Amino acid sequence: MKLKRFLLRYYPPGIILEYEQGGNLKTKSIDLLDLKVETDVDAVVDEIARKEPLITASKTEQVRKLVQRLQEKLAQKDDHHFYLFKVLRAHILPLTNVAFNKSGSSFITGSYDRTCKVWDTASGEELHTLEGHRNVVYAIAFNNPYGDKIATGSFDKTCKLWSSETGKCYHTFRGHSAEIVCLSFNPQSSVVATGSMDTTAKLWDVQTGQELVSLSGHSAEIISLSFNSTGTQLITGSFDHTVSVWDINSGKRIHSLIGHKAEISSAQFNWDCSLIATGSMDKTCKIWDPPSGRCIGTLRGHDDEVLDVAFDYTGQMLLTASADGTARCYNAVSHNLISKFEGHEGEISKITFNPQGTSVLTASSDKTARLWDPENGRCKQILEGHTDEIFSCAFNYEGNTIITGSKDNTCRIWR
Amino acid sequence: MGLLDLIRKLKSSQDKELRILLLGLDNAGKTTLLKKLASEDVSHITPTQGFNIKSVVSSGFKLNVWDIGGQRKIRPYWRNYFENTDVLIYVIDSADQKRFEETGLELSELLEEPKLQGVPLLIYANKQDLLQAAQASEIARGLSLDTIRDRKWHIQACSAQSGEGIKEGIDWMSTVVGKKK
Repeated sequence: MKLKRFLLRYYPPGIILEYEQGGNLKTKSIDLLDLKVETDVDAVVDEIARKEPLITASKTEQVRKLVQRLQEKLAQKDDHHFYLFKVLRAHILPLTNVAFNKSGSSFITGSYDRTCKVWDTASGEELHTLEGHRNVVYAIAFNNPYGDKIATGSFDKTCKLWSSETGKCYHTFRGHSAEIVCLSFNPQSSVVATGSMDTTAKLWDVQTGQELVSLSGHSAEIISLSFNSTGTQLITGSFDHTVSVWDINSGKRIHSLIGHKAEISSAQFNWDCSLIATGSMDKTCKIWDPPSGRCIGTLRGHDDEVLDVAFDYTGQMLLTASADGTARCYNAVSHNLISKFEGHEGEISKITFNPQGTSVLTASSDKTARLWDPENGRCKQILEGHTDEIFSCAFNYEGNTIITGSKDNTCRIWR
Repeated sequence: MGLLDLIRKLKSSQDKELRILLLGLDNAGKTTLLKKLASEDVSHITPTQGFNIKSVVSSGFKLNVWDIGGQRKIRPYWRNYFENTDVLIYVIDSADQKRFEETGLELSELLEEPKLQGVPLLIYANKQDLLQAAQASEIARGLSLDTIRDRKWHIQACSAQSGEGIKEGIDWMSTVVGKKK
């Protein structure tokens, strides 16, 4: 094993080691999820050197510099004030979901008008219209971090794979017998997972376009899915009130997470896959232990359905958004409530952290998106202008640009 | 509402829950009708660019009513919403005689849609409060409704503005689907 170079990852803080083994170039990451501005750098470097054989004595000085860089990044003040940069009269019918590529240089919007559009973030210009679906384009994703491909899942029961550079369609994945409502690339970008109203999830080979495996076992619609960060497992959330954990290699179900008393709305892994969080129409959010499949906490407090849940990039904080018009931030480990976000005049359907973990973004049926301080629950800013409810919102990786997609057929860029 | 709710309303309807599609040309009065059904204010209504959805409880049924914009450029997208439809409501502006042919063509195309095959059809001859409104019987003749053999249908004169006639239409619908279930 020979260390070739270091790569720095800001969010969540980490150092990626690129090394050679048996003639192959490989990478591994050292996650520094607990790193704070005040953390003792020497202690961190010692710890890394002790645990990681690739970090020999001659390399520790380099590692120290990298850790310091990460701390500098963490120390940056988040006082960004967003203004409306552009209104994109994007589609002739309501938008569904929106997503950025990793660098944030472009983003995509899905719509009831059966298209997905690719946009240049800096200019607000339309780069491509991905046409071919015969019904609503609902679920969309870039194959981040690469960003050279886009997957679109449609109510026409198919999923299409596109080149984000040329807009050309590589493959149409056929096999589902009902609407596709969620999808994701695995972290290696070799597989696309699709979840459908037909109660199954399917895995597709990005290269060949073939169906690899069909994951069946749910007794109702699958509406949320997510890979773990190594791509070995997939979780699916269903209207049958359960969440399944699947082994990707065998296609077998490892666990059924049973406990919610109503439909699941969202299911997510945290960064290091030490936790799974699930939101449900039963007004609660549950936290699960992935190895055992046991429920280790139930977060109560919302007066109505929990519509979305989200971890921060380090996986230490957890957000819940509810039809009661409020959202909450919890410590993901202690399950203690950190803050409440109150002020929206309609249900909150989407919630997300900025990659830095210093701001929370919510999208609501009250036609506004709002930014909140997770530490104290203070509303930092109200993003006003949409003329109908907001269905989706996203931060770019830098955390200095926001896109919102609305039922009013427009997409807005805020920066 | 939110995206999740849209998905839930897409599901094949459960007992006592009906998915109702409200179609018709632009300016036929679909949104006014929808709002009247939900007992909402109808004084400020703008052309629907996408869709509106409301859930209304009536005669023991929960009606999930989808009001889809009727402008020409978005009519090709009506098909997005056909899945799992229990009842089709077609709204006609009875006072706009110039467009009777256009509305008749759109309706006949809908009746040929495989996904709407056998779906009961309720036609509202709307805007009866206007002086120049054609009578429901006249419209029925003009559209040759009596040639429809593959589904139950009913034409109901109404004024979405005043609310007159709406309930009678819904009552017809309830008896039809009540028998079906």
